[in-house]
Formats: sequence, C-alpha cells, structure tokens
Amino acid sequence: MQTTIKLTVNGRARTVEVDSRMILADMLRDQLRLTGTHIGCGTGNCGACTVMLDGRTVKSCCVLAADADGADVLTVEGLYTSPDDLHPIQQAFIANQGLQCGYCTPGMILSAKQLLDANPDPTEDDIRHGISGNLCRCTGYHFILESIQDAARVLRGEPSAPSASITGLRADDVAG
Amino acid sequence: MKQVGRRVTGLTNTQLAAGKGTYVNDVVLPDMAFLAFLRSPYAHARIRSVDISAAMARPGVIKVLTGEDAYRDLRPIPEAWNTREIGAKGVLWYPIVKDRVRYVGEVVAAVVAEDRWTAAAALDDIEVDYEELPVVTDPIKAMEPGADLVEPAWGDNLLITRDWIAGDVDAALAGADRVVTGTVRSNRITGVSIEGRGCVAQWDAFARKLTFWESTQNPHPLRSFLAETLNMSENSIHVIQPHVGGGFGLKQPPFQEEPVVAHAAMVTGRPVKWIEERAENFMATGHSRDTRFEYTVGFNADGRVHGLRIKVIADVGAPTALLGWGQSFVTGYSLPGGYDIPDTNVQLYVVVTNKCPWNAYRGFGKDAQSFVMDRIMDHVARETGLDRTAIRYANFIRPDDFPHSQPSGAILDSGNYQGALDKLLKRIDYAGFRALQAQAAAEGRRIGLGLGQELTPEGCAMPGALMISAYDGATVRVAPSGEVTILTGVTSPGCGNETAFAQIAADVLGCKLETIRVIQGDTELCPYGLGNYSSRGTMYGGSATQLAAQDLRNKLAEVAASMLEAAPADLEAADGTFFVKGSPDRSVAFNAVVNQVYRHTFGKHAEGVEPGLESTRYFRMGNIYHQPETQGRFSNYPAWPFGSSAVVVEVDPQTGMVKVLEYTLVEDAGTVINPLLVDANLHGAITQGIGSAMYENISYDENGQLQTATLMDYTIPTAIEMPMFSIEHQETPSPFTPLGMKGAGESGLGSTLGALCGAIEDAFPELDLRITDLPLTPNRVWQSLRTAPRKDGSGFGPSPSPAATGAARPADAVEAAR
Repeated sequence: MQTTIKLTVNGRARTVEVDSRMILADMLRDQLRLTGTHIGCGTGNCGACTVMLDGRTVKSCCVLAADADGADVLTVEGLYTSPDDLHPIQQAFIANQGLQCGYCTPGMILSAKQLLDANPDPTEDDIRHGISGNLCRCTGYHFILESIQDAARVLRGEPSAPSASITGLRADDVAG
Repeated sequence: MKQVGRRVTGLTNTQLAAGKGTYVNDVVLPDMAFLAFLRSPYAHARIRSVDISAAMARPGVIKVLTGEDAYRDLRPIPEAWNTREIGAKGVLWYPIVKDRVRYVGEVVAAVVAEDRWTAAAALDDIEVDYEELPVVTDPIKAMEPGADLVEPAWGDNLLITRDWIAGDVDAALAGADRVVTGTVRSNRITGVSIEGRGCVAQWDAFARKLTFWESTQNPHPLRSFLAETLNMSENSIHVIQPHVGGGFGLKQPPFQEEPVVAHAAMVTGRPVKWIEERAENFMATGHSRDTRFEYTVGFNADGRVHGLRIKVIADVGAPTALLGWGQSFVTGYSLPGGYDIPDTNVQLYVVVTNKCPWNAYRGFGKDAQSFVMDRIMDHVARETGLDRTAIRYANFIRPDDFPHSQPSGAILDSGNYQGALDKLLKRIDYAGFRALQAQAAAEGRRIGLGLGQELTPEGCAMPGALMISAYDGATVRVAPSGEVTILTGVTSPGCGNETAFAQIAADVLGCKLETIRVIQGDTELCPYGLGNYSSRGTMYGGSATQLAAQDLRNKLAEVAASMLEAAPADLEAADGTFFVKGSPDRSVAFNAVVNQVYRHTFGKHAEGVEPGLESTRYFRMGNIYHQPETQGRFSNYPAWPFGSSAVVVEVDPQTGMVKVLEYTLVEDAGTVINPLLVDANLHGAITQGIGSAMYENISYDENGQLQTATLMDYTIPTAIEMPMFSIEHQETPSPFTPLGMKGAGESGLGSTLGALCGAIEDAFPELDLRITDLPLTPNRVWQSLRTAPRKDGSGFGPSPSPAATGAARPADAVEAAR
C-alpha cells in the first residue's frame, strides 16, 4: 500500500510516496538518493545504516519509512554543505585515519555525534560503549576512538591534537 | 619533502567520511531490474525437478533462470587456480546447479524482477523437488574407508594429499631427549566485510558490450572469468570496481553469482542488480581456517627442537572453482614457520565436506601455520621448564641464514626474527610482567601474558593461474598542467595503497603530493593487472609505479638540465622544483619543465626527448621459481614478512570470560611506505585475529545446516572488546623490490591466535592447563580450567587463592637462553 509522508531530512522539508513496508534506509537511499546511509545486514546488527531521527540515533533498516512521518531526520549528508565545511567529527575521522573502506563510517560518525551531543568529555570507555552498536571490520576501532577523542576536543573549543599513534611522534619528540 | 616513510592520511578519507563514496549498491541505472538467488536448503541432495511456472506467473517477474539455462547457455566457471597443475582433484562447477546440490547456499535458481521485493517473494514460488543424500560434515569420518562421498566420482573425500619431507624425522625424533604429541584445532571462520558482495550488469546489444560493476578485488581477472563462462570475447566486457566496503580476500572471483547476473542482463535486455544479503554472505561467500593439527615434536633439554611431524587436516567444504582450499596448502607449505627445524615431515589432508567452500580470507593459511607453531613452542616450553621466549630464540632461523629453504622448498627471502622479538620484549618490559601478575594476583585478579610469532609469506605466484602471479602494472602520466595521474592494475578495497603510490611517485618525480590523483579498478582505464590479494598491492603496484615514474623523471630531468645548463645527473627534484645539487637557487619549476615537453616540443630544451609524458611499466618479482627442472627449486612466495606479538589478558575463573587488556606487535614487512596506513591495517588484522580466536565461529549441525547466518550468531568484535594497540616497526628490506617493501596487508593476524591461548595458560601458573581448540569461548575456557590438573597434585582447577600460586617464573631465563 502506498502512503504519503511528510518529513524533514537534513533540514529540508520532503514529501515522499512510500510503500507501507518500505524501511527508512531504503527511502533515504532509493527515493531521496542519500546514499551515504549504507546497509550492511538489514537486521539492526551492524549499524552502517545509523541515522538520527528526532535527535537520537536509529538503525534505519529497522524503522519503517512510514513511521518517520513528521519526523526530523539527519543523515551523514546533513552534517555539511560542502567539502570545505565538514562537521568537526568528520574532520577528526579524516585527520586521525578513523576509517579505511568507509562503509561503516557514516553510521559511526552519527553515533559519535549522538555521544558527543550528550557527553562532551567522554572517557575512552564511554566512547567504546557509545559506538558499540556500530561494527567496523577494517580499523580495530583504535583510530576511531582517537578520532572521536580529537573531535570532542575540537567541539569543546580546544585545539585538535592527534595522538602519538597518529603522528608517529613520541612524547619526547613533541617536547623537543 | 620526502614522502616515502611519512604518515600521510588516506587520499580517499574526505570523500568517504562525507558519505560520498560510490559503492556498488549506489550504482543505479535507468530501467534496472533486480535479481535474487534461490539457494539450496539442503547440504546434499539430488534435484529431481524444478518448476518455475508459479514464479513466472507472479506479476513483476521478468525471468527465472535455472540449471537447465546455465548448462545450456553458459560454460563451467573456470578455476581460480589450476588444481591439476598441483595434482588436486577438481569439479565442473556451473553458475547454477542442475542435478545435485552439495552445500546449503549453492545456487539453484535466479529470479529477475522489477524490484527486489518481488524477486525475493518469487523465490518461494519456485518448486524444487529434492531427494536428500547422505551428508558429510565430519572431516575425520570423511577420511574413513566406506565414508559417504561429497563427490562420488572421486572415490574418496580427499581433494589432495601432500607430504613435505625434509631430513630424517624418524631418526631425529629417536635421537631427541624428549618427544611429545599434541592436537590443536583452529575453527571455521569467515571474513565479514561490512559491505557484502554485489554486482550490476548492463548489456548493450548494439555495441555488443557488457558493463559490469562489482564489489570485487580483481577487475581484470574477473573480466577473463566472465568471458570464459559467458563464452564472450574479453574486449566485449568492461569491469568497473566502485568503492569496495571491505574485501579481506572474500571478494575474489570467480563466484556463481557473477555470470548469472551478467547473463540475466543479456537475456532480459535490462540492467540487472544483485546485492547480497547478510545471510547469503555467511552461507555462500566462503569460509576458512577449519583445520585440525596432530603433531609429534622431539626436543632436547636446552629447548632445541629436533624433529617435527605435523598432520594437517583441513575441512575445506565442497569443491568449487574458488581458490580458498589453497589456504590449507599454504599452511603446510609454510611450516614450520620461522624456525630452523631441519628434520620435518608435514602431511597435508585436504578434506571435502558438505559445507560452504573455503574462500580466501586474510591470513590465507599462514595464520593457521603460525597458530600451530606457537602452540608447539609453548608446549616445548612447558615440557622443558624453559621460558617461552627461550624456546623461540633457540629455534629461530638465524638472520645470517637467509635465503633459507623450508622443507617444502619455499625460499624465505630475508628476516631477523630475533630482532623483532628483542624489540617486543623491550617494548612490553617482559621481565617486569611477573611483578604485575603477582600484584594482580594479590588483588584476586588473574592476568596472563601470551606470545605470538608470525610468518606471513606474501605476493604469491601460482603457475598456470591467471589471477595469482607476482607482477603488476602501472601507468604514470603528467598532464600539460603538471598534475599527475597514476593508474594501476592493483586495487584497494579500503586498505590505502593508492596513498602509498602517490607518495612513491611524488618522491620519484619531485612533484607535490597533492597534485597526484590515483585511478584504480577499471579495465578500460587501467593497465592490465591482477588486483588485490596476498598483500601484493604496494609491493607490486608500488614497484610498477616507481618504474613508470622513473621513466618520466628521466625525461623531465633531461629537459630541465637543458633549461638549467647542467647535466641531468646533477639535478634533484622535490616539492615541484628541479634544481642543481648543491645550488638550490639554480632551479626551475616542475610545471615549467612539463610545459616545455608539451608546448615547446620542437624548442631547444625538449627537441631531444620523445613527446608525451606517459609511461606504463610492469614490475616482475625477481625470486619466483616456477621451473624446477632448470632452476633446481620451486618457490612461489617471494616475500616473507614476520612479526612478534604479546597479549595480556584477564581471565575470570568463575565464568571463563577472557578480556584482552593489552596488545603489542612488532612487525617487519620490510620498508614501510606509509607507517600510519600500515598501522591502520595492522590494527584491523589484529582485531580480526582476536575476533576469530575468541568470538567468531561458523557452526553447522550434523545435517549440514548452517547455524550461524546472522551477525547475532557470528559475532565480530565491537569497540567494547578491543584494546588500544601498541605497534612498532622493524624494517628488514626485501632484496627483491626496489624500495624494499614486502606487503603488510595480512600481517598482524597470524600471531594473535597462539598468543591468546598462551596468555590464558599463563594466567594460571599453578595448573597444567592446555588450551588446544579455538574459539576461546567462556564455556570452553571454563571447561579447560576446571579439568586442568594442579601441578602440585592437589586436585583440579584454579587455586581459590591466586596470590598463593607463586605467579612467577624466572624472567631472566630469556637472557640465559640467548
């Protein structure tokens, strides 16, 4: 059954005709061509399809598009307007090599955003739990954690400070 | 600024972090139809009949393809490596099965429909009449006389057996102070790229041209495989690799699905897309590492091993055209790892069963080799009472003993295993660990330290195999504006080799890194090449890039020398400027030199050089030996990276839960082009190793039904389980690549498995604890703990008071052994 929904996606009002069985991820990808939202399992386990729905993260493969009627949706594409003004979390992932193949990255970044929105100064353990619903198979999470720590610094108004494992410098090198 | 050796972040980072990559599921074509596969629900069954009438009658269904179509219109899938070349048995594998299915997930039919929901629904409309056949799931029973057969025509269930014998193992064992035996088992696993497989095919009947997008690692070989199966000319096929969401070996062709999707596009006249579901990924993309080892090892009281016999029994699933079973071959071929054990006998049994076939996965059998050797070395340490490091030092191949021949005849190019272990022990303060352990014990916590040693042969070349060889090509071109484009035959599924190529070319050309663009994964743009596997990307693609860039550098230097009135040999180039050595003020801009070549072709500076600034070169590895009759040896792995790792775990004796606290790796893959991206790869490899050793397991029941087909059942590591990693590089350059690199794509994985087992054992010094089977699930660890005898004979299981266990062995045994 087709149904018409009205929602806001990345700040833009949209009216979309959807099948009542359609999932939000498919609507975003197929109808709105926002292909930064990836699908890795279709069962809510991998988190590649993570988007924000009314300010909190959801796995968009487990939400019906029709249930997003009236909602405010944020996808990875809504974090910037051009390559020159990427969100600080994206800039931190770029500078701290918090990605490899890039498939989990948009979902990971949105989970990081939810975490940092609620907790500007998270511990390493907070970050691990904050992204525990997002599977990455390339990075082993090490550089993702450092990316999120660096993003947190920038969002708190402190300078970006990639760790020694990124720069290759040891503490004594930096001091010198 | 010299770029090689710099920690440059990935060239694709910005695009991918913005969500602006183009993966195969992002490829959308006008009038595109969708394909879904009907897969066998049985592990072994005869197909009596297939009735597609109800499916065809469903509105929206365009075409249903069955085995009848495949056997009539398509050819068998060519083998990824030539089994007959090494005396293995093969099968004729068609893209769709007609008579007999041999594992759950084998392709039985395909539906093309207007949308993917209709295609999926129509699968249920297809009536297949199956007659169930006896199922083979246990590889040990499969080798017994009279066992049911996966391939009745073979007469047994052995795809190949092979003995690699060096010296006289019986005499060595007879002469050793002690002889012990053991059995260890590495479990069945799979790779789980977060993006599954998928492809899109478009057929232009007028141009007679097939365009094929796939999340693949090997565009050019895929084109050849498709041409053969579809019975088409190769130049009618254009393969495009979009961004790939992880590969790890499992996106190497040839699969059943690829020619079916291409054929569907040709017979329907519509573009056709297939995107793999996660369950399909688990049942049909490929498994690996399911291997049982039975060993007998003889050694003297000083820890020196004299005589090693290992029986390797690999359960490789059903035989197909996939190359994955070759992993078991590499396990046997590369034993006994980095140890000098002259009297060695390796017996390999490659057993077929009614399970998903093996497909290549990071580690490719070298992981299993390193695992069993670590278990054996720890076993010898336990029996001799010597430190585990002492056993390794006592048996390492010495740094001055390279090139070194393995019992298989494989020739190790170079190495310094002592150096890597020295660095590791220093980095982790090995001698200080016992105090930490005692302190933890005083707090009632059980921590243990394990050691792993890996040897990771890379850059494989198999005679007769199209896809598996030790060469690759690159084109470097400089545009009139001075910007540089590199096109390579190797590909990157996210590992970052494109960034390394730009660094290499920037140094050779003396141009700025940011002026370089890298193009990969397109058979009509890029030079012919074999793609990504065996950690070959930077080794071969980087070396080819270096050669091609050097051609252009030579030409530009000639022109610049004329402009600067100097000799070409006296010029240097860096950061976009040519200058005279020692006189940096005598300089000319890189772009000005390029300008002479393009716009002043007949002027005085460029008239002596051939017009154009483009070179395509192929790099061929220098130490592959495929002609034993004249070369006196056969060796197909030219580069042998290695590493030493240490892991600290905490074990809860009440539950068997194991937590990884620290992980340290000293890796040596020769010259490192980009330490940041190599570290990134190592982090991922270690994590995949830890995951496969602790949390992941492919499980089948006795009927051959897959029990782990979701990410809820097959649990890969999340951020919660992983520690931060400590990485150090040692660089023992390859004598055979121009820059000395060896390939690091699989490094870091092999040493995780044995290290984790050893760490658990080490956490219970009061027990004679033997961890032999993976994965290290809480239940298995708990069972091992409660049945382990106490060394003091006071019973079984961990001492209730860990502080009283005297968690100390003499750490200075390390020094004593050296």
